[in-house]
Amino acid sequence: MPATDIAIVGFAQTPSEREASASEVQLLVPTIAAALTAANLPRSEIGFTCAGSCDYLTGGPFAFVQNLEAAGAWPPISESHVEMDGAFALYEAWVRLQHGDIDTALVFGSGKSSPSNPAEVWAQQLDPYYLAPLGLDPVSLAGLQARALLDSGKATERDFAEVVANSRRAALDNPNAQLRGTPSIEELLAEPYVRNPLRRHDLPPISDGASAVVLARGDRARELTERPVWIRGFDHRIEAHQPGHRDITESTSTTLAARKAGYDGGPIDVVELSATFSPQELILRNALGLPKSTNVNPSGGALAANPIMSVGLVRIIEAASRISAGTANRALAHATGGQILQQNLVILLEGE
Amino acid sequence: MAERCAVVGVGQTKYSKRRDDLSIPGLLREAIDRALVDAELELSDIDAVVIGKAPDAFEGVVQPEIFLADALGATNKPLLRVHTAGSVGGSTFIVGAHLIESGIHERVLSVSWEKQSEGNAQWGLAGGRGRGIGAGGAFAPWIRAYIERSGAPEYIGWQVAVKDRLNALKNPYAHLHLPDITIEKVKESPVLWDPLHFLESCPSSDGACAVVLTNEAGGRAASKPAAWVAATAVRSELGQFPGRDTVRVRAGVECAHDVYRQAGITDPRRDIDVAELYVPFSWYEPMWLEGHDIAGPGEGWKMVDAGDTEMTGSFPVNPSGGVLSSNAIGASGMIRFAEAALQVRGLAGEHQIDGARTALAQAYGGAAQYFAMGVFRSEP
Amino acid sequence: MPDIKPLAKEDLVMEHLVSLTYSEHLTPNLNRFADALLDGRLVGHKCPSCGRVYLPGKGYCPICVIPTGEADEVEVQDRGIVTGFTIVTPVAYYGQTATEPFVFASVLLDGADGTIGGQDIVGVPHDQVHSGMRVRAVWLPKEERTADDITNRGWGGVSGGISAFEATGEPDASFDDFKEHIF
Repeated sequence: MPATDIAIVGFAQTPSEREASASEVQLLVPTIAAALTAANLPRSEIGFTCAGSCDYLTGGPFAFVQNLEAAGAWPPISESHVEMDGAFALYEAWVRLQHGDIDTALVFGSGKSSPSNPAEVWAQQLDPYYLAPLGLDPVSLAGLQARALLDSGKATERDFAEVVANSRRAALDNPNAQLRGTPSIEELLAEPYVRNPLRRHDLPPISDGASAVVLARGDRARELTERPVWIRGFDHRIEAHQPGHRDITESTSTTLAARKAGYDGGPIDVVELSATFSPQELILRNALGLPKSTNVNPSGGALAANPIMSVGLVRIIEAASRISAGTANRALAHATGGQILQQNLVILLEGE
Repeated sequence: MAERCAVVGVGQTKYSKRRDDLSIPGLLREAIDRALVDAELELSDIDAVVIGKAPDAFEGVVQPEIFLADALGATNKPLLRVHTAGSVGGSTFIVGAHLIESGIHERVLSVSWEKQSEGNAQWGLAGGRGRGIGAGGAFAPWIRAYIERSGAPEYIGWQVAVKDRLNALKNPYAHLHLPDITIEKVKESPVLWDPLHFLESCPSSDGACAVVLTNEAGGRAASKPAAWVAATAVRSELGQFPGRDTVRVRAGVECAHDVYRQAGITDPRRDIDVAELYVPFSWYEPMWLEGHDIAGPGEGWKMVDAGDTEMTGSFPVNPSGGVLSSNAIGASGMIRFAEAALQVRGLAGEHQIDGARTALAQAYGGAAQYFAMGVFRSEP
Repeated sequence: MPDIKPLAKEDLVMEHLVSLTYSEHLTPNLNRFADALLDGRLVGHKCPSCGRVYLPGKGYCPICVIPTGEADEVEVQDRGIVTGFTIVTPVAYYGQTATEPFVFASVLLDGADGTIGGQDIVGVPHDQVHSGMRVRAVWLPKEERTADDITNRGWGGVSGGISAFEATGEPDASFDDFKEHIF
């Protein structure tokens, strides 16, 4: 059984921006420093570092290498990198800490989506033989998922609009969010479609951002912070790539990952979901079996700020921060990879 | 470590300039299917998949593991994608080993690959810009610095180039099979990055390498001998900063000392029977021998000169033919780990080093700044 | 029976040329570096903690991992030492611009601790280029200078202002002067 005494003891994130004037590394430098400060941990005592980013997002082969400069890699460090969201880097660090030979780890995720057109970049993530040549872009793919969800009777356009309205309103309390407001459902439904049945507000914003988390184990975690946020379960699963090979109105991998992480439905204080398109929040809520009254995305979620490659780690931070602040005791956070929820990660967090 | 990790299956593709007989999923499955056959397991026995490769720009697909999920047998399973530049094959192995050693999974498939004929590696290494220098152009000045510092004679690099290509003749998977290679031919081949000659440089290859990892129970139960992981470590350092020693790289020294300590190796020269080291340009053989304290400062080239690193020598290096004979960039690090494992399993065929019981694997990447190393033994 | 031929290899290959555009505003510190370059000056950052001087200033010291900025700007000389080099014979690839062998050298400029890489050395035959050579910048005429190649991810450097370095004719620097700055 994996250790359940590994905790989040410090974290930090940049305010999400439509276009950061800082470079990706410049976003990371103070963020990592802030996470270490929050954890009361000198950089030199970190046992393992793991980063999450995507070369094609940053804009060139080996682009991730420059981010090492924000990690403090001199003298040499034990360090690795995943071409995935920082949430998966957190997973790798959590696995590394299971050995027991080191008891702290630093994790970060970063990405600037502003320099490129995400609809073009992520279109290159599709099967190069069968899907990419069709010119299928990520927004259209999300549109297909939304249409399937409507046709299945599991949701209405009004439901989509409610997700958006909740996100905008919740984001008013989140200084790191990008899109805030108090739109009414009617106002939202009156907007034109951009990819029927998706309206512009059903899509995520384009965001630049970075985030960092410090992990510690056992007594070390208790030494470093008064309220460690314990990782009680952690799992991720991937599904078939071809949209026609799975039911895109469900998220079976999320259900499976949650179960493996120790959550099988029922009351939970806070849930942060990486739903980048509004219908996805409904799919994920259903996949997790969340009671209707659950506090979902109090941060505003990925619809309020979508710093790709950091957004999943930010969900974990948002959930952890509420446990750390004492306003929640048990929380779930979710991250995703690929498109229309092909890959899903779930982490179960608990206070003491 | 809570749990031991055993390598019970190894699979490699035939490496070549252009595997135009296979799609990307096909290339991966050639290696994966061979590893599963070797392990006497099915895809359904695998709990998790770890996949690694170098920059996605080499094939032009963003995060290709996403579309490859089905071909990898990863549906409904955890899938991690590692990317640490040239060392990635090694770090991919290590992430897989961690999943076993943590007790989280019982059987893990770890695979690394590159199908760089689909794109253009020189373009990728140049960041899509003109006046690209490739990898050789980046390392050539440091190689020159090693030669000047150590006083090594110029033929040392040519000797390594010949040795590795002749070793490759005993490896049916190797890309380059150059039975007529000689010191003269290497010396006369064009200089691409002064002072490196063309034949002192690695080829550009397509290929994949897969390993099946399991725990102690699985390793003992396997009908074929397992390779036991005695140590793994990774180290990274900044690629460029004032005062950086790019010849004796500190991250490489510390990574080596970490695996030696874990494996109880006090005299690497004596305690290690065979080494698979990432040598993409011939001079990196003596440089890594020194850089991992197998040879003393300035003594690495003397090991080469004396024939110590030949298959018949006292410290065989790269009996597989090494990166100089096959370089699918994302796979090369994994190949080092896989070949080291094959050696201690006694399954390296014609390029088996007799009596190999302790093997060292090393992969490096970036501006010689990322290191992944491992030690394998025949016994747990 | 229909005449079915097996697919030829050419039929199995699909050319897929992808063009993605990345357009990022230069960070404020690189903007200032670029302005100075166009003006014929080399401006780096001196870390307020360790004192190392980097050119260009990236907005942080990678060793101390602290931010650096306008307050840390220092001028760096346009002359220095070749610390390492190779002669590259160009190979063909999409986007290649080089046609003749060129020098790829690291130069440690007077006043800087970090080297600038990828510099061409002119005015001497390639076989006479050597580490330790003292060199000075060959500046492009002011009207030909450009900051277009500079990016936040480290491309460009001084190449928009300085086309190459040439020997000054001074005696070589001793190895001790640059042994810590090979790259």
